[in-house]
Amino acid sequence: MTGLVLLHALVAVLAPAVGARFGKRVFALTVIPSLATLVWLAVHLGDVLDGGAVTETYQWVPGLDLALSFRLDAFGALMVLLVSGIGALVVAYSAWYFPHRPDLGRFAMLLCGFSGAMLGLVLSDNILLIFVFWELTSITSYLLIGFDDTRESARKAALQAILITGAGGLAMLAGLVLIGQQSSGGTWSLDEIVHNAPSEGAVMSWAVVLVLAGAFTKSAQVPFHMWLPGAMAAPTPVSAYLHSATMVKAGVYLIARLAPAFADVGLWRELTAGVGVATMIWGAYRALRQHDLKLVLAFGTISQLGFLVALFGWGDSKLLFAGTAMLLAHAFFKAALFMIVGVIDHQAHSRDLRRLSGLGRRLPATAIIATLAAASMAGVPPLLGFMSKEAGFLGFADSLHSGADLVLAGLVVGSILTTAYTARFLWGAFAVKPGAEDPIGAEVDRPLPPLIIPAGLLAVASLVGGLYAPLADELVRPAAAALHEPAGEYHLHLWPGFTLPLLLSAVALMGGLALFALRRPVAALQRKVAVDNGADDAFFALYNATLRAAARITRIVQPGSLSFYLSAVLITFAVVPAIVMMGDWEVPDGAVWAESPFQAVIGVIVTVGAVGATLTRRRFAAVLTLGTVGYGVAMLFVVQGAPDLALTQFLIETVVLVLFLMVLRRLPERFAPRRTSSLRAAHALVALGVGAFVFAMALASLAARTERPLGHEMSEVAYAEGGGRNAVNVILADIRAFDTMGEIVVIAVAAIGTAALVRAGRARRDDEAVPDEIRAGVGVDDGGDGR
Amino acid sequence: MSWLVPVPVVLPLIGAALAVLVGRSRAAQRVISCVILTVTLVVSVVILVEVDSNGAMVAHSGGWPAPLGISLVADRLSAILLVLASTMLLAVLIYAIGEPGAERNHVGFQSAYLVLAAGVSASFLTGDLFNLFVAFEVMLTASYVLLTLGGRAEQIRSGMTYIVISLVASSLFITALALIYAATGTVNMAHIAERMADLPLGITSAFALLLIVVFGIKAALFPLFFWLPDSYPIAPSPITAVFAGLLTKVGIYAIIRTQTLFFPPESQHGTLLLVVAALTMAVGVLGAIAQDDVKRILSFHIVSQIGYMVMGLGLFTLAGITGAIFYIVHHIVVKTTLFLVGGLIEHAGGSSRLTRVGGMVRTAPALAVLFLIPALSLAGIPPFSGFLAKLALVDAGLGASEWAVVAVSLVVSLLTLFSMMKIWAGVFWNPVEDHSDDEYDAPPLPVGRLGGPPFMVLPTAALVVCSLAISVGAGPLYDLAERAASDLLHPAAYIDQVLRP
Repeated sequence: MTGLVLLHALVAVLAPAVGARFGKRVFALTVIPSLATLVWLAVHLGDVLDGGAVTETYQWVPGLDLALSFRLDAFGALMVLLVSGIGALVVAYSAWYFPHRPDLGRFAMLLCGFSGAMLGLVLSDNILLIFVFWELTSITSYLLIGFDDTRESARKAALQAILITGAGGLAMLAGLVLIGQQSSGGTWSLDEIVHNAPSEGAVMSWAVVLVLAGAFTKSAQVPFHMWLPGAMAAPTPVSAYLHSATMVKAGVYLIARLAPAFADVGLWRELTAGVGVATMIWGAYRALRQHDLKLVLAFGTISQLGFLVALFGWGDSKLLFAGTAMLLAHAFFKAALFMIVGVIDHQAHSRDLRRLSGLGRRLPATAIIATLAAASMAGVPPLLGFMSKEAGFLGFADSLHSGADLVLAGLVVGSILTTAYTARFLWGAFAVKPGAEDPIGAEVDRPLPPLIIPAGLLAVASLVGGLYAPLADELVRPAAAALHEPAGEYHLHLWPGFTLPLLLSAVALMGGLALFALRRPVAALQRKVAVDNGADDAFFALYNATLRAAARITRIVQPGSLSFYLSAVLITFAVVPAIVMMGDWEVPDGAVWAESPFQAVIGVIVTVGAVGATLTRRRFAAVLTLGTVGYGVAMLFVVQGAPDLALTQFLIETVVLVLFLMVLRRLPERFAPRRTSSLRAAHALVALGVGAFVFAMALASLAARTERPLGHEMSEVAYAEGGGRNAVNVILADIRAFDTMGEIVVIAVAAIGTAALVRAGRARRDDEAVPDEIRAGVGVDDGGDGR
Repeated sequence: MSWLVPVPVVLPLIGAALAVLVGRSRAAQRVISCVILTVTLVVSVVILVEVDSNGAMVAHSGGWPAPLGISLVADRLSAILLVLASTMLLAVLIYAIGEPGAERNHVGFQSAYLVLAAGVSASFLTGDLFNLFVAFEVMLTASYVLLTLGGRAEQIRSGMTYIVISLVASSLFITALALIYAATGTVNMAHIAERMADLPLGITSAFALLLIVVFGIKAALFPLFFWLPDSYPIAPSPITAVFAGLLTKVGIYAIIRTQTLFFPPESQHGTLLLVVAALTMAVGVLGAIAQDDVKRILSFHIVSQIGYMVMGLGLFTLAGITGAIFYIVHHIVVKTTLFLVGGLIEHAGGSSRLTRVGGMVRTAPALAVLFLIPALSLAGIPPFSGFLAKLALVDAGLGASEWAVVAVSLVVSLLTLFSMMKIWAGVFWNPVEDHSDDEYDAPPLPVGRLGGPPFMVLPTAALVVCSLAISVGAGPLYDLAERAASDLLHPAAYIDQVLRP
C-alpha cells in the first residue's frame, strides 16, 4: 500500500515535464496509478469482503507513535473503489474536457497527487498518519481551487477553503493526539482504538468535539460549509472528483470509522445528528435558490454530506449500513452530475439555468444520463439512491436512542427539498423555457462520446446497483460490517414492502415535486427571508478583523523607535527578576559605602559626569562628561590597587575621546530638539530603576556567596604553574588565552568592517550620501527616527 | 578524540586570516572558505558520531584543568547544532558566491563570514560562561560587519538598530555574568551549576530570569524581539539567511543550556516561559500576516517560531525538550532555505514585495517547488519536517496538560499557513499588480530553467533536500534529540565530565 501511494507521488512528480512535452497525453500517464490501485484492489477484494484485512507497517517516527501502517478492510475497499475508480474516470474525462493549454502537466500532477493522498487517507490505520494525508488533501485542494490563478475569485476561494479546513484540521490533530494518549494501552492504531472501548472522562469528551470539528470543516457542515460553493471555482473535473465524490467525504469517513466507538462519548451523537440534519436542510434550501447549475450541485452536495454525517454519526449498526450504501450511491450520482454540468459548460459555454433552454432535445444522451443520476439523487426507485435512503429511514425508525424520531423528521424534510432541487436541476439544464431571456440551446453541438462516457458509466452503476440489489449488497454489507460487527443481517431491498420508510420516500418525492411546481411562490418567499450568506459574511468579517488586529498590534509593538526598543529591553531586564527576588534582598556582612574618602570623591565625580552627559544639549560637552565617567572608573581601579587595569582603561578612554572628537567635526553641534518632558521623565525613571536594580542585585549576589571566588586561585597558580610574576598577564595570555584570542578577533573584524564602510563611503562621496547617513545613523541615539 | 573539539572554532579563524592574506584574489578566497567550511562540516559530523556513541567530549584550553581554564564541551546538543550550523554556513556561502554582487566588491566578506562561523561554533562548544560572552562578541561583531557591507543608506540605518540593541544586550550579559560570578565565584559552567545549588532560592530564581532575558534579546523573545524584524530584511539575502537560521538559535541554545544546566527544577520558571512562548508565537505571527514583503514576513516568522522552541523548554519534560530540539533542527534548515528562496524571488522578480512580483508559477516553476516545500514545512503541514516538529510539541504539551499553550500554538500554525499562502498567492499566482518605478528595485532578470543562477539554486535545492531528509529520517533523528534532551535533564554527567575527568 505504501508502494501504491509512492507510485502516485512518483507519477505526480513526473507529470509536469511530461505535460510540457506531450500535452494532453499526460493524462495517459497519470491514470496509471489509479488503474494499478484498482488491479491491486481486485486481487485482494475477495479476501477483504470475507472479513479479512490486508495490513502493512513501516516505522517512521517511533518516538512519536507515527508509523506508516496501512490496513485494507472491506470499508476501506469501498473507499478505494471510489477514490481510484472515480479517479480514473475523472482523469479520462479531463483529457477530453480541457482545451489544449500549457499548464495541463501541473493540473495532472495535482490531481494525481490528490489521488495518492486520498488513497493514503482511506488506507491509514495509524490515526496520526490519517492526519498526514488529511492535510495533504487540503493542500492539493487549495492548489486545484486556485488553479486558474489569474481570477481573483479563484484565489479567494482557495484561501477560504484552506483556512477553514486547515483550522478544523488543527483542532482534529489535537483531538487525535488526545485520543491516542488516552487510549487503553497507548495504541495509535485506528482499528485497535475502535475495538477497545475508549476511556471515559472530560478529556475524551473534548477530544471527540475536536475531532468532529475537523470532520465537519472537511465535509462542509454548517456553519463551516461556505468554502465548498467557493471551491466550484476549480475546473469541473476537480469539482466532480474532490468536491463531491472523495475529499469532502473524508470527514464522513472519519466519523464512520470512529462512530461505533465514540457515539456515546460526550456530545458526539447530539453534534453529528444536529449538525448533519441542519446541514442537510440548509444545503438543500440554498440549492433551490441557485442559478448556476454547478452551484445547485454544490449546495446539493453540502446537503447530502449532512445526510451522511447524520447517518454515520448515530453509530447504530443499521445506520452504518445505510450510510455505507448512501456513500456509494452519492459518489456515483454526484460525480456523474458534475461531469454532466461540465459537458453542458463545455458545449454551451454557460451554466446559467435561466438561459439554457431546450438542451434536452439537442443532447439526448447527456439528458438521459443526467436523468438517471438525478433520479438516484432524489431517491426514485429502482435506483441505488432510493434503496440507500430507505435503509436510512428504516434505521432511524428502528433506533432505540432518544431523539431518533426528531432526526427522522428532519431527514424527511431534507429529502423533500432534495427532490425539489433535483427537479430544478433537470428542468434548469434540459427543459425548454419559453420565456427565457437570451436563451442558449438551439445551436449547441453534441459532445464527443468520450466526454459523456465516464458520466454514463456512473449513471449505469446507479441503475445496476438498484436493479440488482444483491450486487450492491455484496459490497455494502461487508463494508458496513468492517466498521462495526452488525447485530443482525441487513440487506438492500428493491421492494421493502409497505413500510414506514416507503411511505416517507413517497412523501419526499411527492412533497419535492409539489415544491418544484410551486417554485415561483417559493422563490418569492425565499427572497423575503434572505439570510443566505450569513456564514460567508461571518467568515470574511473574522478574516478582516484578524488582519486589522494584526496590523494594529504590529504598529504598537514595532514603532521603529530605538528608544522604545531599548526601554522595553531594560525594563524587562530589571523588573522581571526583581519580582522573584522580593523578600530575598540582602546586604553582605560588613558592607560599607566606601573604604576610603578617595572612593567617595571619585564616586561623586563619576555620578555627576554621568548625569551631566544626559542633560547637556551639546555633543562636545556630552563626550567630555562621558570621558569624566571613564577616567573616574580608571581612578577607582588605581585606588583598588589594579594599576594594569587602570592603565588599560585610561588608554581606551583617551582613544575613544579622540575618535569622538574627530567624528564630531562632521556632526551638528547640538543634539536633535528635546522631546517632551514626560518622555524624558520616563527615560530617567527607566535608567534609575535599572541602576538601582543592578546595585541591589550586586549586593544580594555578594551576600549569597558561599565559596571563595576562583580569581584568588588563579593568582596563586599564576606563578606556581604559569611561571609569570604578573598574574594578570598569565591569566590573559595563558589561563584564559582562548578568551583573549576571541577578543583579538573581535578587534580585527571590527577593523575589516570599518575599512569596508570607509571604502563604500569613499566610493559615493560625490553624491553626499555618506555624511547624511552617518548623521542619520548616529542620530538614532537621540531620537526615535529608526525607520 | 577530544582534540577535535576546538577545531570547528579554530579552523574558520585560520581561514579568516588566510582570506585576508589572499584578499586580492577572489578565487583563492572562495576556495579557502569552501574548503575550510567543508572540513569544519566533516569534523562536526565526526564529533556528533563520537559524542553520540561515547558521551560528551571535553577539551581544556591550554591544558589548564577546569574550573580554572576554559573548557570546551561537545555534548549531543552542541554536536547536533554544530553539524547543522556548518551545513547552513557552507550552503549559504556557495549561494553567496553564486549571487551576483553578494560577496563581490566587498572587501572582507569572506573573512567576516568565517569569523561568524567561528563565533557560532564557539557559542555551541564553550563550557565557560565568560567564554560564551566572548564567543557572542566574535559572532556579533562579524554580524555587524556583514549587515552593513555595501554601505547602503537603509542598511546602515537598520544596522544601527541592530548594533545598538546588541551592544546593550552584551552589556546586560556581562552584568549578569558579573553578578553570577559575585555569587558563585566561578565562570566555568559546570562549576557554576555545582555552586548554584548552594545559593538561596530567591537569588537562583533571579539569575535564571536574568539569563532568560539576556539571551532572550538575542533569541528574540517577547517582549525583546522588536529589533529583529526591523533589521533583518534589509541585509543581503545570504546574510539574512544565515542570521535567520543561526543567530537567534544561538540565543535559544544559550537559554536551553543555562536553564537546564544551572538551575534546579524548583528555581525554573516553566509557566512564565510558557506564557512568554505563547506571546512570542502570537505577536510574531500577527506581525507576519500584517506584512506584504517576502523578507519581512519571513523575519516576523523567526520570532513566532522561537516561541515554539521556548514552549518545548517551558514544559521541562523529556518530551518537551526533545520537541524543542527537534523543532530547532527543523527550523534552522527550513528558515535558512526560505530566505534563500526569498533571495531567488528577488533575483527573478526584481523585488521581494508581494505586489511587485507575480505569476512565477509559470515563469519560474522551479522556484515554486523550492518555495512550497519549505513553506508548507514551516506551516507544519505533513509530511514535512515542520509537521513532525509541531506534532512533537503538541504531543508533549497535551501530555503535560498544558492546554492553553497548545491551543495558541495550533492557532498560530494556522496563521503561519495563512501567511505562507499569502506569499504563495502574491509571488507565484497573481499577476504583477504594482508597476510603478522604485529606486530600490532591480529590473527582473531572466531566470532560465533553474529559476536563477546555478550556484544560487543548487545550494537552495540541497537544503530543500535536507529538510525532506529530516522528515524521512525523523525516526532516528527524534531518538537522537531525545537522548540529547535526556542529557540536558540529567546534567550530573555533564558536570562530572568537565570537573572530574
